[in-house]
Amino acid sequence: MLLPKFEYHEPTTLEEALRLLSELGGNAKVLAGGTDVLVRMKQKIDKPSHVISIARVPGLDAITPRDRHGVTVGSGVTAADLARHELIRDRFTPLALAAGRLGAPMIRNRATIGGNLVNARPAADFPPACMVLNAILKLKSAHDEREVPVNGFFRGPGDALIEPHELLVSINFETPPPWSGGSYVKLGARKTLEISMVNVAALVTLESADGPITAARIALGAVAPTPVRAYAAEELLVGKQPSEELFQQAGETGVGMCSPITDHRGTMEYRCMMIEVLTKRALRLAVEQARAWRP
Amino acid sequence: MSEFRVLNTRAARLDAPAKATGRAKYADDLAMPGMLYGAILQSPLAHAKILNIDTSKARKFPGIRAVVTAKEAGLVKYGVSPARYDETLYAHEKVRYVGDEIAAVAAVDPATAQEALDLIKVDYEELPAVFDMFEAMKEGAPQIHDEFPGNMNAEVHQEFGDTEAALAACDLVVHHTFLNKRQDAAFIEPHACVAVFDLDGKLTLHTSTQVPHYVMRTVAMVLQIPVGNVRVVKPYVGGGFGPKCEATPLEMSAALLARHTGKPVKITYSREQVFLHSRARHQFYAEMSLGVKQDGTMVALKNKAILDGGAYTSFGIATVYYSGSLLGGPYKLKAMKYDGQRVYTNKPACGAQRGHGGVAHRAAFEQLLDMAAEKLGFDPVEMRLRNIMTRGDMTINELDMSSLGMKECVEAVRDVSSWETKKGKLPKGKGIGMACGFFVSGAGYPIYRSDTYHSTVVIKLSEDGGIATVLTGSAEIGQGSDTTMAMIAAETLGIPLENVRVVSGDTDLAVDLGAYSSRQTLMTGHATKEAAEQLRGQIAAVLAETMGCDPSSITFRDGVVLFDGGPGNFEKLRSLYIKEHRGWTDPPGGEYLTFREAARLAYLKLGSMVGTGKYKPPRLGGSYKGAAVGTSPAYGCSAQVVEVTVDLETGQITVDRMTDAHDCGLAINKTQVEGQMHGSLSMGLGECLFEEVKFDSRGRVLNPSLGEYRIPTALDMPNVDTILVESNEPNGPYGAKEVGEGAIMPTIPAILNAVYDATGVRITELPCSSERLYMAMKAQEKK
Ligand SMILES: Cc1cc2nc3c(=O)[nH]c(=O)nc-3n(C[C@H](O)[C@H](O)[C@H](O)COP(=O)(O)OP(=O)(O)OC[C@H]3O[C@@H](n4cnc5c(N)ncnc54)[C@H](O)[C@@H]3O)c2cc1C
Repeated sequence: MLLPKFEYHEPTTLEEALRLLSELGGNAKVLAGGTDVLVRMKQKIDKPSHVISIARVPGLDAITPRDRHGVTVGSGVTAADLARHELIRDRFTPLALAAGRLGAPMIRNRATIGGNLVNARPAADFPPACMVLNAILKLKSAHDEREVPVNGFFRGPGDALIEPHELLVSINFETPPPWSGGSYVKLGARKTLEISMVNVAALVTLESADGPITAARIALGAVAPTPVRAYAAEELLVGKQPSEELFQQAGETGVGMCSPITDHRGTMEYRCMMIEVLTKRALRLAVEQARAWRP
Repeated sequence: MSEFRVLNTRAARLDAPAKATGRAKYADDLAMPGMLYGAILQSPLAHAKILNIDTSKARKFPGIRAVVTAKEAGLVKYGVSPARYDETLYAHEKVRYVGDEIAAVAAVDPATAQEALDLIKVDYEELPAVFDMFEAMKEGAPQIHDEFPGNMNAEVHQEFGDTEAALAACDLVVHHTFLNKRQDAAFIEPHACVAVFDLDGKLTLHTSTQVPHYVMRTVAMVLQIPVGNVRVVKPYVGGGFGPKCEATPLEMSAALLARHTGKPVKITYSREQVFLHSRARHQFYAEMSLGVKQDGTMVALKNKAILDGGAYTSFGIATVYYSGSLLGGPYKLKAMKYDGQRVYTNKPACGAQRGHGGVAHRAAFEQLLDMAAEKLGFDPVEMRLRNIMTRGDMTINELDMSSLGMKECVEAVRDVSSWETKKGKLPKGKGIGMACGFFVSGAGYPIYRSDTYHSTVVIKLSEDGGIATVLTGSAEIGQGSDTTMAMIAAETLGIPLENVRVVSGDTDLAVDLGAYSSRQTLMTGHATKEAAEQLRGQIAAVLAETMGCDPSSITFRDGVVLFDGGPGNFEKLRSLYIKEHRGWTDPPGGEYLTFREAARLAYLKLGSMVGTGKYKPPRLGGSYKGAAVGTSPAYGCSAQVVEVTVDLETGQITVDRMTDAHDCGLAINKTQVEGQMHGSLSMGLGECLFEEVKFDSRGRVLNPSLGEYRIPTALDMPNVDTILVESNEPNGPYGAKEVGEGAIMPTIPAILNAVYDATGVRITELPCSSERLYMAMKAQEKK
């Protein structure tokens, strides 16, 4: 398969990148790792006349801790970098786990978090992880800048709240409070190199090592046109002592939030049942991690 | 202790340096001055009449050098088996599947060629299509070929003994149905070729194929070129597994375009086109009954097959025979009945793939065996051992098991896997299962009826006598046949492996039917051995004459000559050689006469030192209709034990461990044999758990990529314990026989038997995905 013809730009500053975007806007595609956009171009789904690489824009590939309050992840940080980053693994566990389950090593070396979010596929790995961590996306254009919560960023398959002239610059995460733990589980046919049939991210905060749940967030992927938060299931958990039965109930409630489809990866019926199982497991793992929390 | 010097070792592959450094050239790497790029227009519709093809715009497109359709190509019918030539290079009148070839173009670059395809205007009248084999057999179904009413492509009915009577006399009859899914062989290198005509009208085709010989014949026939004017050369090939066993429209298009333009033409399939060309494993539906006695004796097998063939025949006739004939062993039966039907549908044609025709039915049969064992209260291993064939047994359909280490294989996997401490003792969710299988070491007959040799080999010595070059038409496709031939030549000549070179895969060098039906080690191996023996004999004769001794007292080993087993008094020979040796800077020394000296002296007497060898199997098989299919000079066999963990909440299967024993007669190269075992197991695991070519409602492939067609990854494959069983096949060179395909036979049923052990659920349809297993477990709970 051949790439269609296009003009290639390689800006070396953020300003230049934003200027190019504002001039070329709808006719241009940003190129990060290229693991989505180049595939789509070869398949003739995307036919941009301009391609703007952000590989040479400085700073986009940085993971920057902010005191103890959080971390800023550049949009160009790769899945491989996130999966092995110590702070991310420790405090932002769903993010590191999701990064480690995306594609296979070669894909992870190229795939960026920014590309994954902007791409807005319902089954993608990063969105649920970002959603339970309440990530805030920083979007910039030549003349403007705005912050958008990830919960609300996705509008439909392939459709996110970003304009053609905007660049996703970074993603901000607040450090979860003490006694928090997170998890990410994914079900696909193979052990790796899989687009999820269902995926679940969870973040649970306990009052203390053996205390009740004070806060919980659950996000489900591949179960609706966009990844969704299972708010009702989250509410059910708050104030209760963690237990298998509770996780099971949360799973059952979670299914209610979903409208999965039948496609060649799996049927609606099976997906619904798996939401239950995976939610239960994600909660179990998150609580285990929360109990082992260390300052 | 083996007396071999080269064979039965773990010698490094000849092609390892070229492949490891990236120097190995594959067909798509080739470039020639003035080369053009071809592209093929394929039907977007599954079934339609072609009303008109307008190529005028494409012909005028800048950069286009030729456009060809059925008008230019002619309508010579071809296929694999002369009994069913049902393809023409380009569709005329009708297209029969999404992907059917209509036209081809040659252009100055690939992008121009692609663009020009869009300018060819084809008017179609869409016809009703049929995609399901059961639907295709129904009355009133769309007819795909006028000559084959009811879409019945081929039918086989065979019976050995009186099956109904035998079943009636059994204590227990068990039944099973099984449905696999259409496969893609998922080789890494898509088909590619470069065609070039020289000024005398001779065509050379550099192509990624398993069968240079058959490609030569088919291309010559379709393009009406004398066979002697077609040379097919196979560069390095990145896998074949069956679908590269026949001439492709790609090769014929490149040749035709090269003829029309007078320039070299390259065409490469995209991955999607590989799926559209297909010729991989069929979808099989099996319906089977097995009758047994209370004491576990297997008596009678009734086997019915329906094959979804797709739009053309390809290898299909052989396939539909194999589904029956390959169940004749490795268990003794008193009666066997087989009814097979291969049906046309509006999908890409299916052909041969590793374990040709046998895999799905073997899977059904080996499950049935476990079902019978369970009902009778026998351990599956015990049940198999009770019925197993041994060396010298003849199957009920007259296949001669001239060597058969089946029992040794079963016992080996039982012991290495610690079967007895596990079977029946594992917690729910954990399971262990086993299965057996066997396969041919080359077909008894060529695909076309002929008395041709199946392989001829020439070995030529270098002028200085130091290097032996094996010239063969056999096809190294990654399986290691070049290394195998080099090892056989080195062993036979008594020289070190590094003194042997191999030039292969070229129809100008020798005759060889190619890499299919697991034939080259046995057949090309025989011819190589014979050529080396002949050469050795010539050298010995010259030495004997000079020394005045008997040639039979002369032997060759490790690159030196032995007289009566010792160095001998060879001074006369050495001084002759040294006189000859002036100007060469590496005078021989040492207490033995070297092979190099001996071969040089023989050259001085005889001229070019060349040995030739040839092989064709003796007449094999019974005299019933179709008796030829399944015959082979030898049969390899294998047994496997698989251990699984099933996630009872999701249905996900993890294959924890595989233990595989294979009888390859003699492992010429142990590492390569194990490589074939590993590869077979991973291919079987993929077919069992993940793989399925899917279609939408209009016959378009839904998952024509290795992203969405899921073959196992390294994380899905467990470690494999491989055990080599060596039964010393009397009909094989140095006792060797196949491993390339037989090793896949037990994999699917061993996994499914393990899944049953873990869950109590019998899976009757592949792939055994987490969803299918989960739903089956749910259904079982409700019962
Ligand atoms: C073999 C394979 C396996 C895969 N497996 C998975 C998987 O398991 N899970 C999964 O979620 N995905 C998977 N993917 C999809 C893909 O790898 C991911 O979505 C990846 O994160 C995309 O990142 P990228 O940097 O490659 O994006 P690109 O392809 O470069 O870009 C993707 C889209 O985002 C836009 N974009 C990128 N960066 C920015 C930015 N900073 N600002 C604005 N717009 C931007 C691009 O214009 C484009 O539209 C797989 C892809 C392949 C080819």
